[in-house]
Amino acid sequence: MSYPNEAEARLALADVEQARQRVIDRIGMPWWYWWGLAGCWVGLGVLNDAGVAAWLLTAATLVVGAVHASVSQRLLGGRQQTGEVRVRRDVAGRRSALLVIAFLVSLVALTILAALALDADGAGHPATGASILVAVVIVLGGPQVMAAIRADAARRAVA
Amino acid sequence: MSGPRFDELIHPATRLSIMSLLAAADWADFAFVRDHLRLSDSALSKQLATLEEAGYVAIERPLSERRRRVRARLTPLGRERFQGHVAALRALIAGGPLTTA
Repeated sequence: MSYPNEAEARLALADVEQARQRVIDRIGMPWWYWWGLAGCWVGLGVLNDAGVAAWLLTAATLVVGAVHASVSQRLLGGRQQTGEVRVRRDVAGRRSALLVIAFLVSLVALTILAALALDADGAGHPATGASILVAVVIVLGGPQVMAAIRADAARRAVA
Repeated sequence: MSGPRFDELIHPATRLSIMSLLAAADWADFAFVRDHLRLSDSALSKQLATLEEAGYVAIERPLSERRRRVRARLTPLGRERFQGHVAALRALIAGGPLTTA
């Protein structure tokens, strides 16, 4: 049999990388995940400032947490943004889900810090203010986290 | 990781692209592969049938949202052969020894 020459082998490898990149481009989480999360964040902030009963606030937090856990089980890490393709874990990066979790944990910390700062400043609705600030960070920052995961996957593919 | 092993079945451009897409995914929908490679339904079906016959690709038909979908995934054999083929292409560029599948 005849093997391809070097130029043909290079072209074939370029095709392989291009196809891999097409799959990497599908790493992400749907827009509704970020907007939904931001909405829930603001909702909890508003409930907190509205002075509702502690049990109601706790129940709302648990419901949001349970819904998030159920939805994110499939979405976290961005391997299956749509029903079209599921990216392999070793392609998306084994730490992609951890990166999203770290982002979410930092949002909780940011909410607490912002609420304390607003409260110390005498703001009337510190939890609402802090949650709106964090909601903006979620909507703008979430897709950026996924872009960083895609860029990391592309870098590892080339390496 | 497989050693360099040139595979004539995988090497044609269309089949190599299909294998490459599937190698990066756990599974891919028929429409995803078709649209990304700009193939007709019949052309993709033919190539997938060849790869399935060789045991490189598995075709699944899960029922989703009340309509039939067709998904393709690499089999362990297909993944091994694909990795061997890519290693063979790299060896060709580097001027290393090759075997043929």
